[in-house]
Amino acid sequence: MPVGLPEFVENPENRCPVILLLDTSTSMTGQPIQELSRGVGVFKEDVQRDTKASLSVEVAIVTFGPVQLLQDFVTVDQLVPPQLEANGYTPMGEAIEYAIDLLQDRKEVYKTNGIQYYRPWIFMITDGAPTDSWHNAAQEIRLGEADRKFCFFAVGVEGADMTTLSKIAPPDRPPAKLNGLDFQSLFVWLSTSMKRVSSGKVGEAIALPPVGWAEISS
Amino acid sequence: MPWKAVTRSVIGTSHIQQQLPCQDYGGKQILGDVLIGAIADGAGSAAHAEVGAKLAVTIVLEYLALTEVWLQKRRQSWRSLPHPPAQELATKLFTKIVNKVNLGLRKQAETSGYSIDDLACTLLVLLATPRWVAAMQIGDGFIVVRSKRRQDYQLFFQPDKGEYANQTTFVTSSNALADMQIRILSNPPKFICASTDALERVAIRLSDWSAFPPFFKPLEEYLLETTHPDKDDDYLISFLESDRLNSRTDDDKTLLLGFYE
Repeated sequence: MPVGLPEFVENPENRCPVILLLDTSTSMTGQPIQELSRGVGVFKEDVQRDTKASLSVEVAIVTFGPVQLLQDFVTVDQLVPPQLEANGYTPMGEAIEYAIDLLQDRKEVYKTNGIQYYRPWIFMITDGAPTDSWHNAAQEIRLGEADRKFCFFAVGVEGADMTTLSKIAPPDRPPAKLNGLDFQSLFVWLSTSMKRVSSGKVGEAIALPPVGWAEISS
Repeated sequence: MPWKAVTRSVIGTSHIQQQLPCQDYGGKQILGDVLIGAIADGAGSAAHAEVGAKLAVTIVLEYLALTEVWLQKRRQSWRSLPHPPAQELATKLFTKIVNKVNLGLRKQAETSGYSIDDLACTLLVLLATPRWVAAMQIGDGFIVVRSKRRQDYQLFFQPDKGEYANQTTFVTSSNALADMQIRILSNPPKFICASTDALERVAIRLSDWSAFPPFFKPLEEYLLETTHPDKDDDYLISFLESDRLNSRTDDDKTLLLGFYE
């Protein structure tokens, strides 16, 4: 039949935003900060193995100690894994509030440009206890989770104040404790999860892969 | 026959990989001068989505066909109404259809020992005569119509999406009736295309939710040229199965096409 095939409209990929909220306070000095830096690289490499995910997943990196936007949102292929440096206190409360605002701004950019997106993730990794007031941040996390504005994940490295972390993290998603310094497994898990989210079908509940990198707490 | 119409579904590559069945279903009937059609996309998270989608479409077609038969017994037809149905009548009709579908799904769930959520699906329904088109949509997917006297393709509804790309409403959702979109087009239709959401990103420009004419024109020409679209479906199937399309979507794909001579 002499009929041409349909042509396709060029639409941008659906975006899948994630903020890495990384504790870079002085206590992370040495091997922890090196392993954490390496982990971000592993995350990038692993996401990039999936063509669709590499076009969808957008990463921003916020470090705290002090709070700093190290990397504004970029697609994974544009991400240059930073060499993290350990320095200063642990202003966790300020960092969380900063991340929530950053997400809100990103959503506005998507909306203005007619880009569809998945529920964003804020993924916090810390080895300490907040040195600033965190109650307001914890409240914002609860409200944001209830309104399905984002998913908040907290990961404690050896030495982290898990008691405080569990007060900050949403009740349905308690903080996980990292096995030693196994940041690699953690970031591979994060990458696998983002790949699943970025290929998620409409209305589909995303089943996350099992958490192999965390200690089992009783 | 004045209406030419065809519906085809093709399984998505991700469903093949995950060894899932095709969870889309579509159907149509031509009753004299009236075209009725329905398509449904089973929820990926629902355990028996393919059963739900097929049952929903079957129930819709049976019920809509009955209304036409009922009218014909009274020497009437949907086509012979002096005016296109008012919004009120259309709402009544489509509400009844959704309730019938939910009743049917609930019965099926009970018989098979499923939860009704295991049968969750989106639903698009259309009722077209030579003078008007009435349509409804619950969830995502799209209906596009070109009227006889116009060149452009009109998107009937903005797809119902939540804030996020992977959110939508299903016919089994508690808010299904509240989210149901209904529209009556009072112009004579020439071409109709309905699809599940898999083709949304290639056929609809998301920045302003407009129908992309180069997508629809060849499909319209295909219907114009073919005499028996149901038999002569190679073109449509090869398009739906094409690598070119699969590189843009890995989901199940369904097209319902209608053309009025």
